[in-house]
Amino acid sequence: MTTNPARVLVVDDDPLTRRFVGALLRQKGHEVHEAIDGEDALRAVHTLQPRLVILDLVMPMKDGYEVLEALKADPATKRIPVLILSMRSREEDVVKGLNLGAEDYVTKPFNAQELMVRIGKILERTW
Amino acid sequence: MTYSDRELLVMVIIGIVSVLSALTLLIILNKAWREAREAMDRRRRATLEPDVFRYAGASDTRALREYLDLPLSSRDERIVEAILLDVAGLVKGESRERITTACETLGLVAAAVTGLKSRRWWKRAGSAEKLGMMRSKQSVDALVAAMDDPMGEVRIRAARALGLIRGRTSVRPIVKALSDPNRWSAIRLAEILIGAGEESVDELLEAYDGLPKPARVSALDVIGRVRTPRAAALLRRALKDPLPDVRARAAHAMGLIADPTFVEDLSICLGDEVWAVRAMAAKALGRIGAPQSVPRLAGLMSDREWWVRSNAGDALRALGVPGREALIKTLEEPDAYARHQAVAQLEEGGIIDEYVSDLGSGDPARREAAIQFVRKVISAQRIDRLSHQAVEHTQDSVRRTLLKILKPEPQGGSS
Repeated sequence: MTTNPARVLVVDDDPLTRRFVGALLRQKGHEVHEAIDGEDALRAVHTLQPRLVILDLVMPMKDGYEVLEALKADPATKRIPVLILSMRSREEDVVKGLNLGAEDYVTKPFNAQELMVRIGKILERTW
Repeated sequence: MTYSDRELLVMVIIGIVSVLSALTLLIILNKAWREAREAMDRRRRATLEPDVFRYAGASDTRALREYLDLPLSSRDERIVEAILLDVAGLVKGESRERITTACETLGLVAAAVTGLKSRRWWKRAGSAEKLGMMRSKQSVDALVAAMDDPMGEVRIRAARALGLIRGRTSVRPIVKALSDPNRWSAIRLAEILIGAGEESVDELLEAYDGLPKPARVSALDVIGRVRTPRAAALLRRALKDPLPDVRARAAHAMGLIADPTFVEDLSICLGDEVWAVRAMAAKALGRIGAPQSVPRLAGLMSDREWWVRSNAGDALRALGVPGREALIKTLEEPDAYARHQAVAQLEEGGIIDEYVSDLGSGDPARREAAIQFVRKVISAQRIDRLSHQAVEHTQDSVRRTLLKILKPEPQGGSS
């Protein structure tokens, strides 16, 4: 599956996850930016206006839910799709994330190909 | 030639200062060398990492070597190994399998297997740990051998690695180790087997009859926590075991699996002569959610053992309306212990608070039902929650009504 190159923001306090997901996205031709915590993410979203945000939930400063709520409450960012990529795998976490407006939810550890397919689908849907 | 005392002293001071300076210089050089080496490793890692990431995320048939610049120095191999093991913790599925393949083809598995034979125990432990992350079936035999290592830490890491590799050949020695409580912690082994999931069940089912008693208890624990319905026949048999610990653990496992077909077997166990078995059976019935067991559970509210009463109460509370009605009915029991347990459960389930709030209801029928309920709780002689609500409830009318019911009630009374 091919999708048009897009600007993607990867938000995770774990540098390894950021680098790995970033490498997978770059391989598909996407432009990747990174944010290391919730506050950094909100600043980056406003500056960069990415096509997609890949968001971790457990982070310092502001957690992923807070970031998601802030993004969906702001008319300037509410249409930016968010894919949650988190270690939290409990049903209630997934439901909460989707209820808050996330497009998709992938739990860590993840299948790299599956993640890229899901990202591709979101980018196709929201093009 | 002779030296004066003064000259000797100067020479000694110069000697000491020289030695200290040399040591300081050595420490500084060593630190600088380590930092420089780490900086070089970081730079090299930054170069190698994208290729390893591309390999891990791809789905082609190319080997990792084809993604990397050849040849790799031994330092490169160490760095690539670190990257692969880092990514191993992030991914699953095909990406995870590709990491195992890369570790095998780069010779990292073989190197770690060699490390299991090191004279230094911490190196053997580190190698076992790495092999667990690599998850290569090629290392199973070496890890099985490492389970006989003289160092406990090496043994447990080897067992953990085998649990991560999975497969019956890997799980078999862990099950066997359950039989040797002097060398192994049953709790740690059980955790490893639970992590291995369904694959440990086949081995446990086959080995069960040959296991000594404590191992059988651990095996049942694993079976319950893996929540496999495939062990139903074994659990039914274990429920009739002459050893009470085995019966109790089988009942517990049945509750975890929560198969409704266990209800009849567990109901029979509610009459077991050993209290631990009765307690576990009651708990299991609550977990399964079997309303047909309400009368038997209500009967256990008068059991002579606190744990049985408590678990029966918990189970009734979990069984919805019929369980709640049974708890309310228990408030009228002549047995004070049963009444007290019922009050505790009704309080825990928020049912006392619900009725107390109904004291302020506009519906006369609900209000009257609430008054009758409160009177029953008072006659059960456990009024802590009611007294608290009489002071703290948010509605003034509720507080007043509650105080009115509480005050004229005579203190003391028979149980």
